[in-house]
Amino acid sequence: MSLALGLVIIPLLAALLMLLWPRLARGLQLAAALLCTILATMLLQLVQQEGSQQLFIGGWNPLLAIRWQADSVTALLLLLSAVLHLLVSGYALAVQQRDKLAAAFWPLSSLLLASLQALWLSRDLFNLYVCLELLGMVAVALVTLSGDKAMRPALHYLLFSLFASLCYLLGVALLYGAYGALDLPLLQGQLQANSLTAAALVLITLGLMLKAAWWPLHLWLPAAHAAAPAPVSALLSALVVKGPLFILVLVWTTLAPAAFLNVAAYAFLVCALGALLLAGVAALRTPYSKTLVAYSTVAQLGYAMLALALMLSFNLPVFTAALWLFVMAHALAKAACFLSIGEMQQTLGVKKVAQLKGASQTMPLAMFAFAVAGGSLIGLPPSGGFLAKWVMLLGLWQAQQYFLLLVLLVATLVSAAYIFRVVVLAFDRAEPTAPDFSPQLLPQWLALLPALAVWAMAFFSMPLLAILQQELS
Amino acid sequence: MTALLPYLPILIILSSLLPGLIIFSLKETQIKLRTWLNMLGVTVKLIFVWLMWRAVKAGQEVTFSLPFLPGADLVLHGDALSLLFVILSSILWLATTIYAIGYLEGSPLRSRFFGYFSLCVSATVGLALSGNLVTFLLFYELLTLATFPLVVHRGTAQSLAAAKRYLGYTLGGGVLLMFGVALLHMLTQSPDFTPGGYLLPLVASDRALLQLAFVLLIAGLGVKAALLPLHGWLPQAMVAPAPVSALLHAVAVVKAGAFGIIRVVYDVFGVQSIQQLNVATPLMLLAALTILYGSWRALAQQDIKKRLAYSTISQVSYVTLGVAMLGPLAAVGALVHLVHQGVMKITLFFCAGNYAETLGIHDIRELNGVGKRMPLTSLAFTVGALGMIGIPPTAGFISKWYLGLGAAEVDQGWLIGVFVLSGLLNAAYFLPVVYRIWFTQQRLPWPHPQQLSKKLETHWMLLSPPLFTMLLVLLMGLFASTDISPLSWSELIVEREFSYD
Amino acid sequence: MLSLYVYFTLATLLIGFGAYGVWRGPELLRRILALNIMGAGIFLLMVTLAYRPVLQGEPADSVLHALVLTGLVVAVSATAFALALLGRILQKGKA
Repeated sequence: MSLALGLVIIPLLAALLMLLWPRLARGLQLAAALLCTILATMLLQLVQQEGSQQLFIGGWNPLLAIRWQADSVTALLLLLSAVLHLLVSGYALAVQQRDKLAAAFWPLSSLLLASLQALWLSRDLFNLYVCLELLGMVAVALVTLSGDKAMRPALHYLLFSLFASLCYLLGVALLYGAYGALDLPLLQGQLQANSLTAAALVLITLGLMLKAAWWPLHLWLPAAHAAAPAPVSALLSALVVKGPLFILVLVWTTLAPAAFLNVAAYAFLVCALGALLLAGVAALRTPYSKTLVAYSTVAQLGYAMLALALMLSFNLPVFTAALWLFVMAHALAKAACFLSIGEMQQTLGVKKVAQLKGASQTMPLAMFAFAVAGGSLIGLPPSGGFLAKWVMLLGLWQAQQYFLLLVLLVATLVSAAYIFRVVVLAFDRAEPTAPDFSPQLLPQWLALLPALAVWAMAFFSMPLLAILQQELS
Repeated sequence: MTALLPYLPILIILSSLLPGLIIFSLKETQIKLRTWLNMLGVTVKLIFVWLMWRAVKAGQEVTFSLPFLPGADLVLHGDALSLLFVILSSILWLATTIYAIGYLEGSPLRSRFFGYFSLCVSATVGLALSGNLVTFLLFYELLTLATFPLVVHRGTAQSLAAAKRYLGYTLGGGVLLMFGVALLHMLTQSPDFTPGGYLLPLVASDRALLQLAFVLLIAGLGVKAALLPLHGWLPQAMVAPAPVSALLHAVAVVKAGAFGIIRVVYDVFGVQSIQQLNVATPLMLLAALTILYGSWRALAQQDIKKRLAYSTISQVSYVTLGVAMLGPLAAVGALVHLVHQGVMKITLFFCAGNYAETLGIHDIRELNGVGKRMPLTSLAFTVGALGMIGIPPTAGFISKWYLGLGAAEVDQGWLIGVFVLSGLLNAAYFLPVVYRIWFTQQRLPWPHPQQLSKKLETHWMLLSPPLFTMLLVLLMGLFASTDISPLSWSELIVEREFSYD
Repeated sequence: MLSLYVYFTLATLLIGFGAYGVWRGPELLRRILALNIMGAGIFLLMVTLAYRPVLQGEPADSVLHALVLTGLVVAVSATAFALALLGRILQKGKA
């Protein structure tokens, strides 16, 4: 378990050192990210061999102590966030001079990693609140790095985020008042189906849904994610919105009394349908390229909601696997999308989708990265997105949910429409937008890397599913 | 030699994939290296295909597999049927590559074009070699992705619109196919394609679901095979450069759909299950309707490529129809038509491209007297057109003959009526063109003539491919009874793999 | 016992006012203040919950006290951050 501790402490320490010696920031960032990736790999191996690991911080007894637990899903998420952090750091390093990336990016992004890793590990309602709050504040601070134009979206993001945390906190307080514990495994099975529990769960769920930008509570996300610098948008869309989602899954799969599950499943289902269809249509219509990608995040989260709803209403292990596969595939693909779009925006000096005209001639590599990542968002084989969708399809056929199959079909076509809206334009040869300066190759390759990784994911489906199923047995 | 055998399928795919990937990274000016790489890929692929052909002919089966999804490995399998399609696409790739090099000489963005061109052929060959439904699905989608940049290559407003439409149709079809494959996978995993199908044990218990799966699969494949009413993308995709249209129509896209239908009917469901599920007749009707509709619409087209496009819609459905008849002779007809139509149609498209490139002719009315100016191209066009109508001794006659015999064999006499009617329509839209080419005088000057060669009527790289394929059309017809002809190979497939008694 | 109910009611009222203020807006400063009122309500609720054992003659629940302290730190820093952002926005508006 010292591995897990290291995963949180290393980026935290790195962030502090960066503040003390700003000159060393870049080196420290890369070193910390690399170290975290190695540690997370080791932890994943350990968990696979010896099962889930527990740690009570400070060695107190479970009633008082904060419990950290590294099970297989957590280990995967830890690895995912470390790898993405490493990638995005590499990209930021490659473009920092050109894009005039503020020096504060380095400590803040390290801090983001630390709070995220702590969140994945934590199994204590209040500790989760602290991680969540920290995550939210660091995320807002990162958005402000874009300068004055980002201040307003950032403040809106902060207010939404604070309100959401307070809702969550109120819910947690009610639960503690009623059951006298904050530790998730201790609370498991204790909750009774009464109105107090219901109120607490509704508050917790609302808060988390707001933070995770679940439709229809997503209004803050497109503005904030579109305003941030490219590496930040990539981190926010790929990882930050997944934090609250993780807590939501924990709460509903371990805490909630069985009597509530059906109602919750229906509520999640409605949100999922709204996200998949309406947010998808919003992505189709927005004139700005970054907003398009941001709306696509809202839409893609719909798959995760759908998987959660199905998890709660059917006792089929495939839906759990589908949920985490969606999370992983989306994280990698979305990072590639934001990095490639950001790269094109910077080089071509444009913001609108229509201005990406001819980008396949001027910036073939970045456009290719976007298209490849988009293929995973659509769910084309053999990508990670396909794997997730495939697993979900099998479950839906098994559960005979024909209406949802139809929805999935339409949602897939909508996502194809907004991805290819950009890709088709890129092949336009009439008067392509000329680059402001000659395109750089390294950042384009770095944008392509996560896209290639997500396409490789399908070939590791057996080990991945084995890891996810280890959790269930 | 035998050690190489299991790797042959993957080597056949890589022989075009790797050159393609390298070509992407080349500069526009590295023409020699690019041409060299293309030709190397073609040659190497043909050698591998020949090796595999020898092995399969000797009764060996070649399988290569990689772990992929649970219950569905990535299986590449060389059997007689897949080889039919592999040989067709490799040989036509050779012709089309030469043609494309000549056709695109001096135009921009050729590295991108040839890169995607190679990817497209890799996907087609992969699709042919797929050993189970999941692998097939994978290459089917990759084919969509690889052909899209080719359709949109010219980058004009018209080609952007066509490409959007193409994507809309093919991605939609791909999703339907994916849903169908997932349904079957849920029922019984995805075993390798089996002669006689593997779904018979489920027919009694999951009848409705199997029918649904059949509809989903056929709808998904029908988009690429341009079955009515899913054909809308094809006439519009004509804006692509001629070599692309040639390849799309003859092998890559429409044939991928038709080939998929053959696989689904014979190796997934099997004749017996199809009969018990009562799904063959609707497919047959749909195919017959498409044949007539395509021919009818072709009559009204004045643009050469558009007329050829509607003709493709009609001709590909012969394959579907032959499959849906569920008889051994009809199956032979379907298989052999898959090859024959490919070679004939590619000849016609090469010629249409030559007319457009050399003289700027796009409209049929501009063809008057072109036979004097471009006799060799016109000869190839004429042979291709006669083949399409089904006049002996061309290849087209052989396939239509077997399809007719097949219809009689399964007691569907009315289908012979369909064949006759469609044949008349074919004659009605091809013969006037041939007449114009040879027997009328040139009235107007050529729209946009170019001097592409000093001695020949056009550039040798544009001229040799249609002549080569024209020769094939004649040879396949004249030597249909020898044992290296597509006909005898098709008979071998039906005998060996379709398990008719 | 009565005082407990008074505190609970007070906490509920504060949370309600705060939530209403956040929802209603429209000024950003007002929203920030409303969030603080809401937070104060929640902390009051937690402190009141911590007081419950005292009625049975047991010591107060120190876990909740610790939570409130942590929460206060978080709330103060978040408010400071929000105000700083607001300051930047207003400054830009003036210039």
